[in-house]
Amino acid sequence: MNYSFDFQSISFAPLWEGLMVTLELTAAANIIGIVGGFLLALLIMSPIAVIRLPAMLFVEFFRCTPAIVQIVWFFYCVPMLFNVFLGSMTMGILALGFNLMAFNAEAYRASIQAVPREQIDAGIALGLNPFQRILYIVLPTAFRASIPVLLTNGIGIFQQSALVAIVAVQDLMYQGKTLATETYRPIETFTVVALIYFAVSFPVTQVVGYLERRRQLLMN
Amino acid sequence: MALDFSIILRFQDALLLGLWMTLKLTLICVILGCTLGFLVGLARTSRSVMLRAISSIYVEFFRGTPVLIQLFWIFFCLPLILGIELSNLASGVIALTLYMGAITSETFRASLKSVGPEQLDACIALGLPRRIQVINVILPQAVLRAIPTLLSNCVSLFKESALVSAVGMADLMFVGQNISNNTARPVEVLTIVALIYFVIAFPLTRAVSLIERRILAKLAI
Repeated sequence: MNYSFDFQSISFAPLWEGLMVTLELTAAANIIGIVGGFLLALLIMSPIAVIRLPAMLFVEFFRCTPAIVQIVWFFYCVPMLFNVFLGSMTMGILALGFNLMAFNAEAYRASIQAVPREQIDAGIALGLNPFQRILYIVLPTAFRASIPVLLTNGIGIFQQSALVAIVAVQDLMYQGKTLATETYRPIETFTVVALIYFAVSFPVTQVVGYLERRRQLLMN
Repeated sequence: MALDFSIILRFQDALLLGLWMTLKLTLICVILGCTLGFLVGLARTSRSVMLRAISSIYVEFFRGTPVLIQLFWIFFCLPLILGIELSNLASGVIALTLYMGAITSETFRASLKSVGPEQLDACIALGLPRRIQVINVILPQAVLRAIPTLLSNCVSLFKESALVSAVGMADLMFVGQNISNNTARPVEVLTIVALIYFVIAFPLTRAVSLIERRILAKLAI
């Protein structure tokens, strides 16, 4: 191979800006995903079919279609269907946030089901109303049990957020693409961009691994 | 606005061709990726430090970066580095196979680990040679446990395959986007494209949970 590398030609300022946009998207989508996911999980587990079925459909739809289809659909169809025009950043946050909501709802459901029945019975015996039972008994236990999966999903959304580059949100991926075309240095640019993504997500996956190992030790 | 879904019928053939491309790509990469994943899974549990280090770096890197950047890297950089022309399909297959290999290797590794130490102890007590221990005792149990997760990995791959549209491969998503741009009817076309993906992926996810229950019941005996 006779290719001379030239990492000098890559300017880091646009990549840094892009990373900030990516992180902003990730953080906002995670807030929607963590809060909305729990509410959605409660809806999925509702005994009333009229509430349960639409919620299940929502979850299954987001879990069973490619994220890129969802994002493109969101950007093209929501303004036409509902006649609302939001900024591209808001659209990106909503599309990623809804996607994460669906995945987190499944995680919450598994851990809500794992909350021992006795604890809820104890709540009833203490005279807590259903709302208090969810807030003080189910939520803390289920939330703690779901943390590893929530983190994994959260970092998944960090990676999926690269897709918004396709609809021209100026995130890290988009800046990388622009830089690669401007400098004619695709190898160097894409390698650096990949390393930036890796540098952010790798520590988080290590933390998840640590939490899971600790949990297993505690359970044994 | 008035929706007119009959427009889809005019582009039936193009969409079917795109779907065929998506399915072909998924199938090739499932087969290649599972083989790669199995080998990497074994390498990650091997005694050689070299093998373990290389395979861990590969897996962590492919799991730690967006698939989109992997695809771009392989489409734009691999031909430059290797100095050969790669067809669209070849690059797509390489990228998705490497991705699939990384995620399935984790599945294989977890299932190899899930075969309890008492099984190995029993093998030793029975005086079974190492080869028989691996082939007849560990592997069958590990593969059986891996099946549900492998299936959901396949569903993920099917969904991720839509990304190749971003580098100009004519898969279902690419065809759908082209039609929607040319007819200026994104709502109808993109909704149908999403539904096609859903109709294929949803039964598969149901099958995963069904098989999971069956296998768990079988292993519990």
